[in-house]
Amino acid sequence: MSGIRNLIGLVYEGVKDNRLLWLLIIGFALFPIITHFADLPFWNDVAMRIMLLGMAAMGLNLVLGYGGMVSFGHAAFIGIGAYCAGISQFYGITNGWVHLGFSIITCGFAGLVIGYLALRTSGIYFIMITLAFAQMLFFLFVSLEAFGGDDGMSIDRAEFGFIDLYDPLRLYFLIWIALVVVGMGLMFIVRSRFGVTLRAIKSNASRVEAMGLSPLRFKIVGYVISAVVCGIAGTLFASWQEYVSPDIMHWTRSGELMIIIILGGLGTLAGPLLGAIVFLLLEECLPLLLGAAAPAYAENWMILFGPFLIMVVMFGRGGLIGLLSQLQVRRNARSDHRGP
Amino acid sequence: MTLTLILEQTFNGLQAGVTLFLVAAGLTLILGIMDVVFLAHGAQVMIGAYAAAAVAAATGNFYIGLFLAIPVTFASGYVLEFLLIRHLYRRDHMEQVLATFGLILFFNELIRIGFGPAALYSDLPRSLSGFVEILPGAPYPIYRLWVILVGLACAIGIHIFVSRTRIGAMVRAGANNPEMTAALGINIKILFRFIFAVGACFAGVAGMMLGPITAVQPGMGEPLLILSLVVIIIGGVGSVRGAFIAAIIVGLIDTLGRVFLPAMLRSVVDQATADGAGPAVASMLVYITMAVVLIFRPTGLFPAKG
Repeated sequence: MSGIRNLIGLVYEGVKDNRLLWLLIIGFALFPIITHFADLPFWNDVAMRIMLLGMAAMGLNLVLGYGGMVSFGHAAFIGIGAYCAGISQFYGITNGWVHLGFSIITCGFAGLVIGYLALRTSGIYFIMITLAFAQMLFFLFVSLEAFGGDDGMSIDRAEFGFIDLYDPLRLYFLIWIALVVVGMGLMFIVRSRFGVTLRAIKSNASRVEAMGLSPLRFKIVGYVISAVVCGIAGTLFASWQEYVSPDIMHWTRSGELMIIIILGGLGTLAGPLLGAIVFLLLEECLPLLLGAAAPAYAENWMILFGPFLIMVVMFGRGGLIGLLSQLQVRRNARSDHRGP
Repeated sequence: MTLTLILEQTFNGLQAGVTLFLVAAGLTLILGIMDVVFLAHGAQVMIGAYAAAAVAAATGNFYIGLFLAIPVTFASGYVLEFLLIRHLYRRDHMEQVLATFGLILFFNELIRIGFGPAALYSDLPRSLSGFVEILPGAPYPIYRLWVILVGLACAIGIHIFVSRTRIGAMVRAGANNPEMTAALGINIKILFRFIFAVGACFAGVAGMMLGPITAVQPGMGEPLLILSLVVIIIGGVGSVRGAFIAAIIVGLIDTLGRVFLPAMLRSVVDQATADGAGPAVASMLVYITMAVVLIFRPTGLFPAKG
């Protein structure tokens, strides 16, 4: 009983602390209504991409933000997840639940192996070895001619029992439910003893070790969990895209995930989702803006996006969440000043 | 037949190795001394290649292109350090990754606007085109041989500079312990900027020399960047000697692996499996090497920090 009460307590605490995450998730649930009445079905697609990338970034954030391990190779797990769907489809297994199970097991195993090997190093070496493993897998899939090699392969959307994914709204809500599950799972993990230990390891690993815990074991478990979350996002991504290619796990994607996290706020639950919203909106809107200002250069929106990233790093400590909480503090200070 | 093939591919591997070394030499110092994860080093390669190709196209002389591109890349490194990188020294690695990732996007797009998305091709001067027989019956392109020689000359130059000169001693001291070096009264800021600009310059030289062999296009430096990061990690961050040895190893493994591994596999397993797995394993070989090195020697083969 007390376990259940604790669980409810944890969820309640989380609701209080992470109102923003729930607000965003509710927002995503209501978003199709807006696009329906505004007749902008294209934006549903953007929202699905935001949710998928946000989900992957949330997974990476467990390692990056809470665990302090700068993994530069998480795109590999998205890719493995996507190829789990692709390869299953290739062999005629169309059931989406099987894809997800396959992806969870494979990504968990890959995360375990890569984590075990990579976590023996730290600092720059860790960044580089995770990148190397991601590149290894990238080239592995590039050279697998049976599954399309460099060009990738088109696949059908998976079958999730009664959920017909060719109905765009059902796909949307399948992704949404996955996002809710991942969000709640991560919220629980972050507040559990495991999550607290992980954060303690980030701030001082030797002290944790002195208390009789093995930091490496906690780090590996965290790495595996984040790999699995990225894998789930990847599997759904494949179904959404109806196409799998090594491009999905290009090293720049790992960079993108990091950008999303930093943009939103490192080590926060809502941060990655918020970051994904801003990142993909910029990706959609910058070409339009640039097209309006200088039509000849509409395709060269990256020329603005690169410096924007640099600005975020130079001046945006704490990301958007940090910015929001600063505003909050300022407002509180003002109302305190006025008195009751 | 096989001997000439092996010889030819070994030379190709050497050529890839010395080019990698030119990129890695500066980067290993940037990583080791300044502790900055600088991902935009590939952009310096691209800048060098474009500068050389553009000048060569404008003047019609390959060598003028080469010599004018050297100051261009030096200047670009110098300005970049002054404008951005010096503000990143005290930041953590993740922020450095992001800021320099932003730089990559910016430079690629800048080049795309300036020169268009299509690849530039530059012609070789007559004195460097054609073949030379390295063994009777084994012709080899003069240009690639020239690249190997220039690369080796640069490597020897860097080695003498680092191990014999006063500034080289400062560089080594900086790689070993930057705080102590600064405490001994060495102006570490100027040293950093100098190393950065020289490193950019060597990356640029690699780009210029690659120009006639590969396509000069936006983003051309990125595969080279990733490989040179592998080189640096294998050799040990901050060690120029390690970078040279690792670059040659990586260049040879990559080139020879791609050519001979499928054939070697075919003698062990059946044809179909070998044809399927050969190219896959060959392209992963470099990364497997790096993983193995890191597992047994987590700080690389020749760690600079003592």
